Amino acid sequence: MEKAKISAYQLFVMIVLFELGSAVLVPIASGAKQDAWIAILVGMAGGFLLFGAHYRLYRYYPEITPIQYMQKLLGKFFGKLLAFSYIVLFMYFAARVLRDFGEMLLTFAYVETPLFIVNAMLIMVVVYAVIKGIEVLARTGELFFLLLYLLAVIGFILIVSSGLIELTQLMPVLEEGWGRVLKVVATETISVPFGEAVVFSMILPYLDNKDSGLGAGMFGLFVAGINLSIVMAINISVQGVEILTRSQFPLLTTVQSIQMAEFLERLDVFFMVSVIIGIFFKVSLYFYAAVSGTAILFNIKEPSRLVYPLGLVVLFMSITIASSYSEHIKEGLGLMAKTLQPFFLVLVPVFLLGIAYLKNRKKQA
Amino acid sequence: MPSFFKSKKRKARKRNNQHSQPPEFCQVIHPSLADQLDYIRNKTGSSTDIVIRKASFDEKLGIRTAIVYVEGISDKKTINDFLIESIIKNRELHEKHPKRDPFDILLDEVVALGDVAVHHQWDSIFQSLMAGDTVILIDGFSKALSASTRGGEQRSIEEPGSQVTVRGPRDGFTESIGTNIALIRRRIQNPDLWNEMMKIGTVTKTDVAIVYIKGIAKDEIVDEIRSRLKRIEIDSILESGYIEQLTEEHVLTTFPTYYHTERPDMVAGNLLEGRVAIIVNGTPFVLIAPALFIQFFQSVEDYYGRADIATALRFLRILIFFISIIAPASYIAGTTFHQEMIPTRLLIAIAAQRETVPFPAFVEALIMEVAFEILREAGVRMPRAVGSAISIVGALVIGQAAVQAGIVSPAMVIVVAITAIANFATPSFTVAISARLIRFAFMLAAATFGFYGIILGLVMLTVHLTSLRSFGVPYLAPIAPVIPSNIGDTLVRMPMWAQKKRPKLVASDRNETRVGDNQKPKPDESRGMKRTSEKNGGQT
Repeated sequence: MEKAKISAYQLFVMIVLFELGSAVLVPIASGAKQDAWIAILVGMAGGFLLFGAHYRLYRYYPEITPIQYMQKLLGKFFGKLLAFSYIVLFMYFAARVLRDFGEMLLTFAYVETPLFIVNAMLIMVVVYAVIKGIEVLARTGELFFLLLYLLAVIGFILIVSSGLIELTQLMPVLEEGWGRVLKVVATETISVPFGEAVVFSMILPYLDNKDSGLGAGMFGLFVAGINLSIVMAINISVQGVEILTRSQFPLLTTVQSIQMAEFLERLDVFFMVSVIIGIFFKVSLYFYAAVSGTAILFNIKEPSRLVYPLGLVVLFMSITIASSYSEHIKEGLGLMAKTLQPFFLVLVPVFLLGIAYLKNRKKQA
Repeated sequence: MPSFFKSKKRKARKRNNQHSQPPEFCQVIHPSLADQLDYIRNKTGSSTDIVIRKASFDEKLGIRTAIVYVEGISDKKTINDFLIESIIKNRELHEKHPKRDPFDILLDEVVALGDVAVHHQWDSIFQSLMAGDTVILIDGFSKALSASTRGGEQRSIEEPGSQVTVRGPRDGFTESIGTNIALIRRRIQNPDLWNEMMKIGTVTKTDVAIVYIKGIAKDEIVDEIRSRLKRIEIDSILESGYIEQLTEEHVLTTFPTYYHTERPDMVAGNLLEGRVAIIVNGTPFVLIAPALFIQFFQSVEDYYGRADIATALRFLRILIFFISIIAPASYIAGTTFHQEMIPTRLLIAIAAQRETVPFPAFVEALIMEVAFEILREAGVRMPRAVGSAISIVGALVIGQAAVQAGIVSPAMVIVVAITAIANFATPSFTVAISARLIRFAFMLAAATFGFYGIILGLVMLTVHLTSLRSFGVPYLAPIAPVIPSNIGDTLVRMPMWAQKKRPKLVASDRNETRVGDNQKPKPDESRGMKRTSEKNGGQT
C-alpha cells in the first residue's frame, strides 16, 4: 500500500466517475426494453447492499486491503488463490472496458485506425496516471467530475430544447410486470455497473475519515444510478426501444441527433470528452487495483515498477480477448454475465462477509 | 570587580602589541597597520576600485588609521562626511584623553553612522567590505571596525515592466534587496513581518532573504524553504531563477512551481495569504512560494477592481490559456479528421482556401507556428531601433505573401494570429511560455489522432498538473482537492467581504480569518422605499 490519504468527497467523485465510466457508453439493461431505467434503479438498490458488504469488511479490517484480509479469512493458500484471481479479474475487466472503448472509437470516428493504436494511446495515459498514485487520480477525478457535469447539464439542455424527447416512448411502464425487470437486474445491473464497486474495497483503506466511507460511497452510487437511469430514459425517449436495442452505443446516437440553431450539430466531441473521461477513470481504477493488489500479494516494494509491464498485459489482453466486436459482446453476455460477474462481484463478497462475521463474533465472545 | 577584569584584559592586549608577530596570511588580523593593508592589497590583487585612505588619529602618539572601501558600491558622500571628516576633526579627542582606548573612542564618538560592527576575522571584514561597507583599521589592534555605507549608483524605483496594470500602485522592485524589503515593509507595517537573510553562492556571496509574516505563514513551509535554501551549494546566484531551479520539487515539468513578480503590492498580498517571499539581491524578481496553478491566472488588478468584472476576466484568462494550447491543434484535427463537425459552408470555404496549399494541415500549421515563434524571438532580442522592421516583415511576409504564394491558407493565418494574441494575453509569462511549448505536443497529437489525441492530451495534462506540488501544496488546490472555504478566489473572485478565510493549505491554521463578520456593505437605511426609522424626518 502506498502512503496516501483520500477524502470522502474524493471517494464519492471516483465512485461516480467509475460507475458512469463505460455504463453510459454501452446499452445496459436493454433487455428490460422501455423499463431499462427501472432496472437500473433496482440494480442500484442491490449495489447499495453489495457496497455495504464491502464497507462492513473494511470496518472489520480497516488497515488492510482485501488481498490481505482474504488470506486472514480463508487461510494462506485459498486466500492467496482468491486474491490472485481478483487481480486477474481486475485486469480482465480493465481490458474489457478498454476494448469497449476502442471499438466505440473505431466505429464512430476512426474507421481506418487499428484498434491496437487507439487502445495503446489510452493505456499510456492510464499508466502515467497510475504511476502517480491514488491521490493524483482522486484529485484528477475532482476536476473531471466538474467538467463531466458541466457537459452533462449542457447536453441535457440541448436535448430537451431540441424537442427530441418523446415521453410516450417510455410507455407502457412495466409492460410485462416485474419479471422481466428483475431478471435483467439479477443478471445484469446488480453486477454491472453497481457490483463493480468491488474495486473500491481496494481503495477504502486510504480513507482519511473511516466513518465517512459508507455515506460517501452510497451517495456516489446513488448519484451514478440516478444519472444512468436518466441517461437511459432519455435514450429510450429519444430513439425508441426498437432502435435502442439494436444500437451499439445509444448515447452517441442520442447526442448525434441534437440539432440546434443551425450550428450546434454533430456534437460528437461533447460525447467523446465525457466518454474518454469516464473510461479513463474506469480503466485507471481497475488497473490501479490490479497493480496495488499484485504489489501487496507478491510483496513488491515499488509498485510503480509493475505499472509498465502490467499495462502492456492489459493492452494485449484488450486486443486478444476477442477476435471481433460481436465476439466481445457475446463473451460479455455469456461468460461474463453468467459466471464471472455473479460469482466474483456478488457471491464472493457476501461469502467473505459471512466468514468475517463468524470469525469476529468468535473473537468477541 | 568588573573594572578589575577590564584592566586585566587591556594589559593582555598591550602585551600582545609588544610582541609583534611575523605577518602571515591567516584568519587572525595582524595588529600592524602596514601588514593589514598589505594583506588587503594582496587579497584583492591591488584592484583599483579598492580605496585605502590613511589618516592619523593621534599625531603625538602616532596612532594611524586607515579607511578602506570599495568605490562604486559605497556611498562616497557618507564616507567623506561622517567618517573621514569626523576622524580628522576629532584628532584631539585622544590627545585629550590619552588613557582611553583609541578603538573605543573611534567606536563610541567618532564614527557617526548607525550600523557599526567590530570584526576579528578577515573573512567577515572582506564580506562587509565587498558588500559596500567601509572598514576602519587602527594601527596596533587586531580587530577592525566596519560602518555601513552601502550605496552607490542604483536604479531608482520605477514602474515594473513585466506586470503592467491600469489601476494599482506604480512602484516596482529594484535590484537592491534593501530597497525591496523596504517596499514590502512600507505596505505591511507590522512587527510580525519577519525576514531572514542568508548568503548563498560560494563566489558571489549573494544576499538572499526569506520574508514572511510570522503567525500567518505556515511554520512548516517556512522551515522547508529555509532548509532547501541552506542545502544549496553553488558558486553563484545571479538571479532568483537560480534559486527556483535549485529548490523546485518537480524537474520534469514546464509549469512553474514558484511565482515571480516585480510588484511589491503583489508580494504584500501574497504574504498576507500566508505565502513566503524569497528576495535575491541583484534582481527585481521576487519569488513567491508555494505557488498554485490558479495564481498564474490572477492579476493584482482583480483585487482592486470590482469582483464581478474580475470573475469575468478570470474566465476569459482560462479560455485564453486553452486557446493558446489547442487552437492550432483543433484546426489540424478539424480539417484532417473531423470534417463532419465543421459547418458545411465553413468547411467548403476552408477546403477552397486549402486547395492550393501543397502541405497537409499539420505541416501548414507547423510552418506558421515556427515562423511565428521565430518572429517573436527576433522581436524580443532585436535592438529597439530596428524592432519595427520585424513587424513589417512579419505582417507582410507571413501574413500576406505566404497566403498569396499558396504556402498557407488564410484560415491558418487567423488561427496562428489568435493563438499568438491569446498567448500574449496570459497574465503570467511563465505559464504562457510553457503553453507555447505544450502547443506543439498537442499539434502532433492532433495530427495523428484528431480530437481523440487532443482529449487524451488534455487528460494527461490534467493528471500531470494534479500530480505537481509546490512545497507540499497540491498544485491545483483549491479546485482539486476542493477546499470549499477558498473556492471564492479561484476561477471566480468573490467580493472582499465574502472571502473570509486565508488559503487553507498555504496559511497557518491559527490565523485563518481575514475579514470580519457582517462586512457586506448595505445601502443607507434612511433612503429608499423601505423606511425602518422615522428619526431623520422627511416623509415618503
